[in-house]
Amino acid sequence: MSGVRSRNESAWLLPPGPGGNHKLRERMRRFDDADEVDIAVVGCGAGGSTVLQRLARAGWRAVGFDAGPFWDPEQDWVSDEAGSHHLYWNEPRVIAGDNPVPLGSNNSGRGVGGSMVHYAGYTPRFHPSDFRTFTADGVGADWPIEYEDLKPYYEAIEEELPVAGDTWPWGDPHSYPHRPHPVSGNGELFLRGAYACGIQAKVGPVAISNGRFGNRPHCIYRGFCLQGCKVNAKASPLITHVPDALAHGAEIRADSMVTRIDFDEQTGRATGVHYVQGGRERFQRARIVAIAGYSIETPRLLLNSTSARFPDGMCNDFDQVGRYLMVQGAPQTAGRFDAEVRMWKAPPPEVSTEEFYETDPSKPYKRGFSVQTVSPLPITWAEHVAAQGYWGADFRRYMSDYAHWACLGALCEFLPLEGNRVTLAEEKDRHGIPVARFSYSQCDNDRQLLEAAQSVMEKILKAAGADEVITIKRYAHLVGGARMATDEKHGVVDGSCRTFAVPNLYITDGSVLPTQGSANPALTIMAVAARAAERLAK
Amino acid sequence: MSMLPLDKNDGGGRYPGFSTLAQAHSWDQATAGVVLGRIGPPPEIRFFTPQEEAGAAALLDQLLGQHAEPRVPVVNFVDSRLAEKQTDGWRYEDLPEDGEAWRKTLAALDHSAEELYFQPFAECPESEQAALLQSIQDLGNSTWQGMRASRVWGLWTRYAATAFYSHPWAWDEIGFGGPAYPRGYKNLGIDRRESFEVADASPGEDPLEAGPAALSQTDRKNA
Repeated sequence: MSGVRSRNESAWLLPPGPGGNHKLRERMRRFDDADEVDIAVVGCGAGGSTVLQRLARAGWRAVGFDAGPFWDPEQDWVSDEAGSHHLYWNEPRVIAGDNPVPLGSNNSGRGVGGSMVHYAGYTPRFHPSDFRTFTADGVGADWPIEYEDLKPYYEAIEEELPVAGDTWPWGDPHSYPHRPHPVSGNGELFLRGAYACGIQAKVGPVAISNGRFGNRPHCIYRGFCLQGCKVNAKASPLITHVPDALAHGAEIRADSMVTRIDFDEQTGRATGVHYVQGGRERFQRARIVAIAGYSIETPRLLLNSTSARFPDGMCNDFDQVGRYLMVQGAPQTAGRFDAEVRMWKAPPPEVSTEEFYETDPSKPYKRGFSVQTVSPLPITWAEHVAAQGYWGADFRRYMSDYAHWACLGALCEFLPLEGNRVTLAEEKDRHGIPVARFSYSQCDNDRQLLEAAQSVMEKILKAAGADEVITIKRYAHLVGGARMATDEKHGVVDGSCRTFAVPNLYITDGSVLPTQGSANPALTIMAVAARAAERLAK
Repeated sequence: MSMLPLDKNDGGGRYPGFSTLAQAHSWDQATAGVVLGRIGPPPEIRFFTPQEEAGAAALLDQLLGQHAEPRVPVVNFVDSRLAEKQTDGWRYEDLPEDGEAWRKTLAALDHSAEELYFQPFAECPESEQAALLQSIQDLGNSTWQGMRASRVWGLWTRYAATAFYSHPWAWDEIGFGGPAYPRGYKNLGIDRRESFEVADASPGEDPLEAGPAALSQTDRKNA
């Protein structure tokens, strides 16, 4: 692990025990708006923070912008569900289509650390097959890069988070830097049920250190991973990349909403970012701009950055911006046991299986799904129960049974479809900027995957002894919307995350992913960003 | 034991003596500040008009089965969120922003009640309120008062459940221990409890086998 510290010292820059490094923030370098910095990074989540840390280390004068706060976990985060609402992007957005996707809570972030502040913590790699689904199965798209191009970055990031889990048999088999965590009642039942069905299940992979890592303490298994880890055990860029970035001279400008990328008609290059801070409109000059606002805000920013050269939005010459936005079908199936499971104890991410990840030629559908433990807290569980139609006395009675339920969630690889996209709504935000409208509709393959995943989860829970199973259909994660491709007619950026249309404009977040597999996207977003940053620094 | 009145046949009394608030000394300050803030006098109504307040209170009481004091002040919690525009960060294209959607759906609820029972929703007897709500839920994706019924139902239940299950009394009722920082948990696993946790007094009380009320639910779903 000593190798990690020499390339990313974040975990050693934090105080021993919980909390943030206040001195690091006080002493943070501050650039002037008039300085032409080397890079302005828009968004300090998984992609943006990784780029910032890599380029600050390479000696670049780098500024990261985030619309939300620079969190202090001790003061700003709570061990409470309803009280964590401020971790999400709650600005208005409009959802449409045949299967509109609710945004906010489980698929958005706001503030330094992005949605990784409240993600569960699962960090699986994509499989090699994810990079060429079109060639192999005639669905989705081929990436302009291969798994092997990302592999060294997967390995590097897994050490930096660090990731704990069993030796992984699926995709490109690999092991993890930290050993697997002990499991709770929910994980135990998943392992038991899977074993009884002959399905292989493994503990992990989760970005929660198992043992002390630098100054970061051991997990205390309190179960509030989705509310922000006050312990500093679960990885988010706020503790894994931002401290090292600041120590190497990067600035983070929080509470600063970037509203437009500036463009020079003469040179054809981006010249910086317009942003609003404390109600004041400001402009930061930059030699290079990297957008990392995730799959809704990145397309929105491009579409709102119009000019004579780009009347329909920056980089949108071929109407690609905002398209092929993906969500994973994420049905949750719960099983009822006479024993007390108390699934809220311990981190929700514990055990997973990728046995159904790849295309099975014997099935009518292409691609597949993964199954993982999810352990909803009361409000989320109430949503699950209400979705069964219960209300009034029936609802309260059902809820009183909470301790007896175990809950699994699937991630189904919904396909990237041209019409699933972000456009601009009529409605404007408080800055007067049009908000995003996200239209989403499923295809037949998507629906078949949902059914298949639900039946596998039901089978596992019944094999573990459940006498009743209930399912709620929901979605998780976002990727795509400004995808990478081999040319500008099929995507927005190339394999290095550089936009086809503007040579000094990059997109370094989940919106560049052309497919999504059935893997949680955080690790891949960081790996793609780390690769882009390394190529930039050369 | 939860402060909230709930009949044993409706899932009441399953965790005798259990109190999350009795554990407040083990919570961190930031969390205690937020959670204990839900216990004192509820925030004044700022968003709903008096008529909307009455309709919303009756609706939320029905959805959450709160028919006697003490109650979780759900209508005040919902009103606060709407007054502060604390939405979930999205709205359906065919519904207005949440605040406006609440006003519109409460007006529609009164309109329906007037049509059926000749008085506003809040003035109807509980049985008529329940019947009207059931008829709206049964519409599923069909239209109710010009809106897709399932989306209206989703708006109401989403706000109701979030408010109710944010309250320590509701946690006591379901055996949930509430905040767990900096303490964490030591005893993970099936049928394993922390010293402060209380065993379920009716572990075999599978809600689907629970008796007449559950049967009526099934009947309603089949109807």
